[in-house]
Amino acid sequence: MKYTKELVSTLIIIIVTFLIAAVLIIVAKYDPGMALQSFFYGIFGSLHGFAEIMVRATPLILAGLGVSVAFSTGFFNIGAEGQLYMGAIAITCVGVFLPPMPAMLHIAIAIIAGFLLGGIWAVIPGFLKAKYGVSEIITTIMFNYIAINIVGILVRTVLKNTESALPYSPVMPKSLSFSLLLYPTRLHGGFILAIVSAVLIYIIMKKTTIGYELRVIGFNKRAGTCSGISVYKNIVLASLISGGLAGLAGVSEIAGVHHRLLEGISPGYGYIAIIVALMGRNHPLGVIISAIGLSALQVGANSMQRQAGIPTSITSVLMGVIVLLALSKNIMFSGLLKKMRIK
Amino acid sequence: MAEAGSALYFIITLFAASIRMAVPLTLAGLGETFSERSGVLNIGLEGIMLSGAFFSFMAAFITQNILIGVIFGCLGGLLISMIHAFMSFKYYVNQTIVGIALNFFSLGLTSFLFLAYFGRTTTVPQCPVVKPIKIPLLSDIPIVGDVLFNQDIFVYFTVFACFVSYIILYKTVWGTNIDSIGEHPKAADTVGLNVKRTRYITAIINGCLGGLGGAYLTLAMLGFFMENITSGKGFIALVVVILGRRHPFGVLFAALLVGAAEALQYRLQTLGLGLPSQVFIMLPYVVTVIVLLFSIGKSGDPAALGISYKRSSR
Repeated sequence: MKYTKELVSTLIIIIVTFLIAAVLIIVAKYDPGMALQSFFYGIFGSLHGFAEIMVRATPLILAGLGVSVAFSTGFFNIGAEGQLYMGAIAITCVGVFLPPMPAMLHIAIAIIAGFLLGGIWAVIPGFLKAKYGVSEIITTIMFNYIAINIVGILVRTVLKNTESALPYSPVMPKSLSFSLLLYPTRLHGGFILAIVSAVLIYIIMKKTTIGYELRVIGFNKRAGTCSGISVYKNIVLASLISGGLAGLAGVSEIAGVHHRLLEGISPGYGYIAIIVALMGRNHPLGVIISAIGLSALQVGANSMQRQAGIPTSITSVLMGVIVLLALSKNIMFSGLLKKMRIK
Repeated sequence: MAEAGSALYFIITLFAASIRMAVPLTLAGLGETFSERSGVLNIGLEGIMLSGAFFSFMAAFITQNILIGVIFGCLGGLLISMIHAFMSFKYYVNQTIVGIALNFFSLGLTSFLFLAYFGRTTTVPQCPVVKPIKIPLLSDIPIVGDVLFNQDIFVYFTVFACFVSYIILYKTVWGTNIDSIGEHPKAADTVGLNVKRTRYITAIINGCLGGLGGAYLTLAMLGFFMENITSGKGFIALVVVILGRRHPFGVLFAALLVGAAEALQYRLQTLGLGLPSQVFIMLPYVVTVIVLLFSIGKSGDPAALGISYKRSSR
């Protein structure tokens, strides 16, 4: 019975979201029929569309996992975007400054470096929060802007490709590329990295003492302290894991998609990751599902832009609406569900 | 002599620009101050400002009337603020998460409507902007007159709003009520204060002032609108509130500090020092973080900040 209720309220959310999209499209005088057709064609129409959803879901899963670990511990990490860029900087430095080496070793070093640099970018706000109570919401957001500008500085100075006038880094060596999984689409090995990370996070969070302590702190700080679980230690640890995973998203974007550092590699993945974590209810499997769902929404919206000229910013509106509805559904829909005699 | 003159000119324009940069932060910060003192944390301030900027621009563009632009700026901010209030007071949803969702909502809505209305044009649509008002006599004072008394109406209004907020928050019973609701809503409710109504009113103030802060960007500073025009000003305003310890004049001074960093950033960019412009663009955000570090251990947050108040719960 519980599941029927869940199912019905999920259906209501989907219907309401579609209605709002329809209203926006009609008000803006676009062709709704064309919009609907191109939306679904973009998602289900081709192998390319399917692969594109997975390509976009990859950084969302990684960063979303990171945000979910932080949220489970009561650390509001809004900084996945900046941490992602830090991971991208790390792998680029590994590619540019380290001597050639076997692919396995090279990738492994890049992954560790990306995890650490992303982690450090989150640990600073984590430390400030745990030690001094400085609002992490503010610091992580400011760190996003700073990280993005650091990328801008680096690709114009230290990491600049000297053979080009454009602000790019040199192309990464072959040994730092993820292999393609589904030629000729762009689907790359980063997706496997994301799934493996999800399994690891599931095990850590749900099956080990470390994860248990993290969740206790997120659930009730006072109860945690009283039973000897350190708030300080766990918030710092959560921020490290959280930023590290977002850093991996940056590593995966460079190794799998862009193959060099440039500005704007993330179209807001770090921010969408927050919604991924919220929708996925901080559970790794939920994160994977919601990342794929939101990624499909974006791919469909891109197709709408190409074929019906509808601005892709409609996805931001819809994501906001989905979160608001999902958060308030229990109270908002309770009357409706009673009328429909669904318990 | 000429060099001294240009240095003086540099300083005068820098100070004048700092004040202008501080206006949107102060207005939004004042609104948020009311909200936070009543115990409501609204991270959606960025969305409020963005919405205010967009709707004020559209209204001013269509009617070519700045006053109508200002009114719609307030209404635009109010729209986002009211959704936040409604969600967190009626459905008891986590205030931070609603704020994050509203930032998405506002960013998407403003860019969508803007692109839908204007299409992808190469020419930037312009709206009328407010002119500086010289205050007679006072503006004739050397240096100070140029910096303080040759500004636009928003600047004067901001100072006025600080005074009014100070009086409301510190010299009226209602101001004390706001504080007690922010500290202990249950106790306040028990002695007969209307928690929900007060919080709705502070949310209205927050929406109007935040929207006005956004409107200042389009109607005074820029004269045009683009996607994500606020680029984090709403978040910086949140820092300004913390730094100013939720005191109207504290907010004003904190905003002036960050505003100075921003004004300096633009000036340094034009000097041509041979550094990537990102070094300077980053400056206000770095200053914000550093300044935040100085507020460590001194912030007395309202005890019930960010916690939904359910009358029936214990």
